[in-house]
Amino acid sequence: MNARKLPILWILIGLVIAGFTTLVLAGKIAWFSDQPPLEFLSNMDHQFKAIPQSGNTYFSDRASLRNPVAGTVAIGAQPYELGQGDIDAAETANIDPNLPQTEFVLARGQNRFNVFCAACHNYDAKSNSILVQRGQWPGIPDLTREQTAALSNARIFHIISAGQNLMPSYADKISVTDRWAIIRYLRTLQGVEGVASNPPSATTQAQ
Amino acid sequence: MFSRRFDMGVKVGGAVIGAVAAVVFLLGYFGVRNDVADVGYRPEQPVPFSHKLHTGTLQIQCQYCHAGVEESAHSPVPTTQTCMNCHTAVRAESPRLQVVRDSYESGQPIEWARIHKVPDYVHFNHSRHIRAQIDCKSCHGPVEEMGVVSQFKPLTMGWCLDCHRNPEKNIIGARPISGVFTGKLHAVKDLLDSTYVFTPIAAQVGVSTPITVPQFGSYETAIPPVTVAGIPHPKKAGIGPENCSACHY
Repeated sequence: MNARKLPILWILIGLVIAGFTTLVLAGKIAWFSDQPPLEFLSNMDHQFKAIPQSGNTYFSDRASLRNPVAGTVAIGAQPYELGQGDIDAAETANIDPNLPQTEFVLARGQNRFNVFCAACHNYDAKSNSILVQRGQWPGIPDLTREQTAALSNARIFHIISAGQNLMPSYADKISVTDRWAIIRYLRTLQGVEGVASNPPSATTQAQ
Repeated sequence: MFSRRFDMGVKVGGAVIGAVAAVVFLLGYFGVRNDVADVGYRPEQPVPFSHKLHTGTLQIQCQYCHAGVEESAHSPVPTTQTCMNCHTAVRAESPRLQVVRDSYESGQPIEWARIHKVPDYVHFNHSRHIRAQIDCKSCHGPVEEMGVVSQFKPLTMGWCLDCHRNPEKNIIGARPISGVFTGKLHAVKDLLDSTYVFTPIAAQVGVSTPITVPQFGSYETAIPPVTVAGIPHPKKAGIGPENCSACHY
């Protein structure tokens, strides 16, 4: 064996190993794996305690999140009592808190609108979102049209809270204050002032 | 004293043992370290859900499904009800959604595989980071480009502290896509421009500016109240706490 070639070979191997190690440590090389990461001495990483939305062998259904006891309401929860059809009751039951028309409230309304409404109704409320453009969900009404702009705040609150036609209820996702903030913001998109509520008879005629 | 052959044997044996030890060390050390091993964890989910389609193409914002991340420590995996908000009408017959429909009818939750997990003695609070206007992408990466989501950051203590000490170098400021409330009104024409909403992660890192000039132990302005008129109020991001009990309580 040639004695001169041997060190060069080893130096090359050493350089490759060193370079590989450096790249791995620098986070430039990542392996994708569907197997959970190996753990060396996982001391107290996994404790026997209830973590939100995790499995839990203590309960027979293996879920750590428990359903509320029937007939109870969580602290601070504001469930919406009316059904989709209770249009007349909604006009009197939903009392507009008259949030101030500040930029902070409008920004919150815009933020919540973009999160929860824009997926279908689009950022400008004209209901021409990508979902609609792809033909996935036809027949979503333009919220800036006159017919919708004429609805009272209480009625729009009712639609958000109880749903309408194929639109589900968002009472579980959007807090009461946020729903009123969304209405405030929607009014700016519609370019109308909006009324707090209509007498029930007027609403029926507007249909 | 020893024969030439014995001497050679010792040398070769030592070299082999050393090489094996080096390989075992490299594999063990780097294969088990969180910053190497955890990144890229991409488990198979019970439903072939694509974040790339839902948030990248359809522009559904993070908080539509992960609603409640703003208020709670835990970022909720959406309930089956959330899926069915749309999938009662959209792709209602798709065989890929059979698991979702079964779950909706039976009430048994879908058992999604958890990707990001800090050890149980670490109390990470999502809502506090959201309130400081830290974008989801800072830690979760360009989810809107991921067909199957994988872990993007190591979630080690060193990585946490990097950001707590030098947030301006690591944080991506809140972007409209995430639904992180900034208290700022965006122009609608900007929001309709999808390039404004969906800037690729690399470009975002490039343009992200320091949210605040960090001063040790203090914020640029007084910390605002948590809510104003019932609406969560964001605060400017400053340096994060470094005391042990901030996360290990």
